[in-house]
Order: sequence, then C-alpha cells, then structure tokens
Amino acid sequence: MSAPLLEVQDLYKSYPVRGGLFSAKQGEVKAVAGVSLTLKKGETLGLVGESGCGKSTLGRTLMRLEAANSGRVLFEGADVLTADKHQLFALRRKIQMIFQDPYSSLNPRLTVGSIVREPLEVHKIGSREEQNARVRELFVAVGLKPEMIDRYPHEFSGGQRQRVGIARALALNPSLIVADEPVSALDVSVQAQVLNLLVELQKKLGLTYLFISHDLGVVEYLSDRIAIMYLGQIVEEGDRETLFREPKHPYTRALLDAMPIADPRRRRDRAPLQGEAPSPLNPPSGCTFHPRCPYATAACKTTIPVLEPVAGSTPDHRAACLRKNEI
Amino acid sequence: MWKFQLDPVTAKRFQRFRRIKRGYIALLVLATLTGLSLFADFIANRRAIFVWHQGKAYFPTFTFHTMAEFGQKDEFGFDDLEADYVTLKATLKEKGGGFVVMPIVPHDPYEPDFNYPEPPPNPPDSRHLFGTDSQGRDVFARLLYGFRISIFFALSLVLVGQTIGTTIGALQGFLAGKFDLFSQRFIEIWSSLPFLYVVIVISTFVRPSFWMLVVILGMFQWIGITFYMRTEVYREKTREYALAARSFGASRRQLIFRHLLPNCITPLVTFTPFAVVAAISTLTGLDYLGFGLPAPTPSWGEMIDQALQSENRTKIWLAIAPFSALLLTLFLVTLIGESIREAFDPKQYARYE
Repeated sequence: MSAPLLEVQDLYKSYPVRGGLFSAKQGEVKAVAGVSLTLKKGETLGLVGESGCGKSTLGRTLMRLEAANSGRVLFEGADVLTADKHQLFALRRKIQMIFQDPYSSLNPRLTVGSIVREPLEVHKIGSREEQNARVRELFVAVGLKPEMIDRYPHEFSGGQRQRVGIARALALNPSLIVADEPVSALDVSVQAQVLNLLVELQKKLGLTYLFISHDLGVVEYLSDRIAIMYLGQIVEEGDRETLFREPKHPYTRALLDAMPIADPRRRRDRAPLQGEAPSPLNPPSGCTFHPRCPYATAACKTTIPVLEPVAGSTPDHRAACLRKNEI
Repeated sequence: MWKFQLDPVTAKRFQRFRRIKRGYIALLVLATLTGLSLFADFIANRRAIFVWHQGKAYFPTFTFHTMAEFGQKDEFGFDDLEADYVTLKATLKEKGGGFVVMPIVPHDPYEPDFNYPEPPPNPPDSRHLFGTDSQGRDVFARLLYGFRISIFFALSLVLVGQTIGTTIGALQGFLAGKFDLFSQRFIEIWSSLPFLYVVIVISTFVRPSFWMLVVILGMFQWIGITFYMRTEVYREKTREYALAARSFGASRRQLIFRHLLPNCITPLVTFTPFAVVAAISTLTGLDYLGFGLPAPTPSWGEMIDQALQSENRTKIWLAIAPFSALLLTLFLVTLIGESIREAFDPKQYARYE
C-alpha cells in the first residue's frame, strides 16, 4: 500500500449559535465532531450521510474554505490547516473541488472559457495562448466542444455546466478532488454520464476522489472505500464490497435498506429507519444514534462507541457501535 | 470598432432598458441637455463668441478684453472696463470694419440690466425671453447655468457618495464579523444625525464652495447604499462560484472585483438615479434656505427663494422658470430611474433551480 495522499486526523468544526443580549454564544453545532480519514493515492472514498450530517462541512473544512476548530489535515505530509499563505496557495493547486449546484457554481457574468481559465490565471501558469490551448484541451477532456468557450453559463444544461465545473477543477492538474455531491442536482440520466466522466478521468489522470454524496447507489458505483457519517462523526468505514455485504453499524444497515431496488417481488425484511436525525445542537448522549436504533440497549445511552476494527472482517473495516460484533 | 463585450446579463438589461421608450428618451433628452449645458458659455453670455475687429480675430468667451481694445468708452469716459460686445456688434454693423458673433442669448447670469423704466424684476420681453430677476439678471441665463451646477453637483455628490457607500457596504458584507458589527453601529449613529442641521451649522462658519458642499453632503449621502451592498455581498460570497474561486486560491481582490461586485451592482444601478433626484432636490433646498452655494452663483433654489418673496408674488415668471425646470429635470431623472429599475427587475429572468 502506498503512503496516504490525504490524512484527516481528529477534525473538529463547530458553529457557534448566538442569540440574546450582545449575541452571546448560547451553544454550538458540532458539524464535524472528530473525524479521521485516510485517502490513498488513486482511490475513491465515498462519504455518505443524511442531509445536515456534516459531510459538506467536512469537505469545505479540509479545503480550508472554513476554519477548523482543531485537528490536522495532512496532504502529502503538509498540514493544510496550519499552512501559511504561500504554502496554502501552493497546496490549492493540488486539491480542487467540484460543487453541488451547477447553477450557482459558475459566475453568470463570465464566459465558460474564462471560468475554466481563471485558475491558470490566478496561478500564472503559461502565456495567454498556452492557457487558451489548455482550456480547449480541458473542454475536450470533459466532453464539451472547444467552440463553446465563448458562451455563458446560462446557455448550458445542468450536465454541461457540471462538466465546466469539472474542467475548472482539473485546470491546475490536481491530485485530489473533493467532489461535494457533484451529481445530486442533476437528472438521473445525466448523473450517469457525469459519473462515467469522473471514472474515466480518474483512470486517465490518476486522480484521487473524496466523493461526498447522500446517495449510496452513486457512491457504490464509483467508490473503492466508503465512510458513513452520522451527526458529524464517521460511524462505519470499509471497502465497498465488505460494507455492502456485511454492514455492522445499524445506521449503515438502515441506509442500505432504504436503497430502492428495482424489483417489485423482492420484499423488505427490515423496517425503514424511524424518526428524524436529532439536532446536532443537542446531540443524544452516548451513541448519538441510539434514539433511532432498533438494537439500542441501556449501555448505548451512556457509552460513546469508538470507531474500531470489526472482528473477523477485512482489516480496514471499522465501525463505531457497541454491538457491532453481535449484529 | 467598439470591442467591449458586455456579459449577457448586463447586455440583456441594457436591451430591455432601450425598449422602455420613456426611459430611453428621457435619458437622451437629459444627456443632450447636460451636454448643451457644458457649452452654456457659448449659449448665454454677454461676451461674444467671436470678434473680427480691424483685421484681428478675438475669442473673448474665456478672455477679458477692455473697451479700449475695440475703441469703446462708457458714458463716464472710462475705457478699461470690459468691452460691451452688444454695442460693438451694432457699431461694426453700422460702420463696417469687422463683425461680432454673439451667443443666442447675449446675457450672462450675473450682469444686471437696468435699461428699463421700471425697476427689476422686469417681465419677459424680446430682450429677456424669461424676464429678469429682482437684480435685473437674465432669468434664462441663470436657469441654464443653474442647471449645469445642479446636474454636475448631483452627479459629483452621487459619485462620491455611492463610491464610499459601495466600498463600505461591500467590505461589511465581505469581512463580516467585528468590522461589520462596529461599522453598522457607527452607521446607525451617523445616520441619526440630522444632516440638514449639520450643513446649516457648518455654513454659519464657512461659506461652502461647490466641492466643500459635495464633501459635506457626501458625508451623509453614502449611507443609503451600504445596506444594500452589504446584504448583496453577504449573499453572493456564500454562492458556490465564490467558494470555487477561493478554492483555487484567488486573492481577495480578485474575488471582490471579478466575482462579487459584478454580481452585486443591481441595487447600485437602480438606486443611483433616485439618488441624483435627491441630490438635486437637496441642493435646491439648501440654496432656497440660503445655506447652499455662495451668493451670486446661479442656482434654482435661490431663484425659487426670489419668486416666493412677498414683493414678487405678482412676478409670476420668476416662479414659472425655476419650478418648471426643476420639475422637468426631476421628472426626466425619475423616468430614467424607474425604467432602469424595471429593466433590472430580477423577476423577469430569474431562474430558481
């Protein structure tokens, strides 16, 4: 196994909740509560969770678009979170992001060509002609016609816009791409095309993806490993086959059960997940999942489970559940 | 050719503005009037535009020539006063030896005309088409020069004010946090100062010049736009295109000028014409109260003040001229502003996906 490309260690990010006199801090939302992740070069880690579980915040925090409270994010050994201005600028070349909403992720007042060229301009790479050549090359790479560079974002469909966003992310030749729900705003038919493009680009360019999604089906399609997030914490992590074959955390099971199966004759043998995700402002005691968990015991209300290897499974299969070895 | 590409949103808005006829025509009319007022010295002036006198050419519009240069003397025998071009024109026409090209209105806004049996103000006649004011000055000339001052005062004030306001508002939205908190409190306190009284108090110490008045009023004018720019920037900076720019390392300057401000100009453009209306009204009001520009400056406020003096109640031309001019100007600017607002109306093309 090669050395990790990205290592996230015990990352915390919370938002203060203010109110009352002089906007006093009244509490905090722990969006990311102690997350550790490792990404090896060339692999795809799928990060799955419900809305509001902190997966997008995790992506933005490790890109340092938001300041973390504590923890370390090591990219090729260099800490992103403590890098100074120049180091960070250099690091930004290697980590790029693809955004969820293809309508708001492109500046409506710039041509798509200049949108894709902008990272090159910011990093002063090549002459104007070289930059334009690179933009054309990128357009071809993401399946757009190079003649389109002088058009504006509103002239494109959602899928095409997302391709522009991908071209922009690729402009600087990054090694890691954080894809924050890159297909969830697209039509299902277009989703497949964009996913195929991402897979193809990964093969061609040796990219590493952190793929954030709430859709297990999408994640299953292109991930090597999957991490399940619940209320700011990773509750289970493992390679794709193991996780789908023998999920150990009840939450993972519930998610897998909720995946639609295109076969009306197959019956569900387990009940779907009950209730809403609790407020991260006031998370439940012990295991944060216990109020919704069908296997919860009295111990689950008091003991906080740790993410530990699952006995008798693959070595990197880990789960944070007190009863992971029984169920 | 004009090689400046407008982005499609702006181009579309501009097209739509042009299609709103009333606003577009108002803009053309106002622009023409403003352009013409720049040449006011060639339209209404007692100095000639061009004099051909004994084989020599003179362009006296901006230069001083004595009576002696043209062989003139006044009734007391002095010849070192400024030449009288109207008389000169008549003399040369009669005797030959040259000619004089006078402006259409051969009066400047300061020169009193006492050649009437009645004391001024004198009603409109062939010599003074709009009559004369209580000091015998030509009302049309004062109206014209007053328009020039009003419109350029308003434009300067709005330019200064909106620049400051946009900068501060955008910084509040962009920097947020403590800067936003404290500057917002400062704005709340500052905006509660009654600016008219402040101007009046300052005016009692110093007679404000044009630029000083711009600065004094500018100190209060900037506040309005900050609120809009602040919220616009607050909203735009969290959009994903701004995050994308940050994620590849765009500097703050690039982020603000290339991404945020171009997407935040709507309130600026739509409020500016109405700010011009307010600025013209403010200057007129201050002049009316006597706290505006110093005395002989041609100003609409001062003209209105004259018209409303009790002894001038029957001299209706004194009131008609400035009030119609004020009404027309404000009407034109409002038409423009209202059409811009309509052209920029986001409801017509917004897509909420």
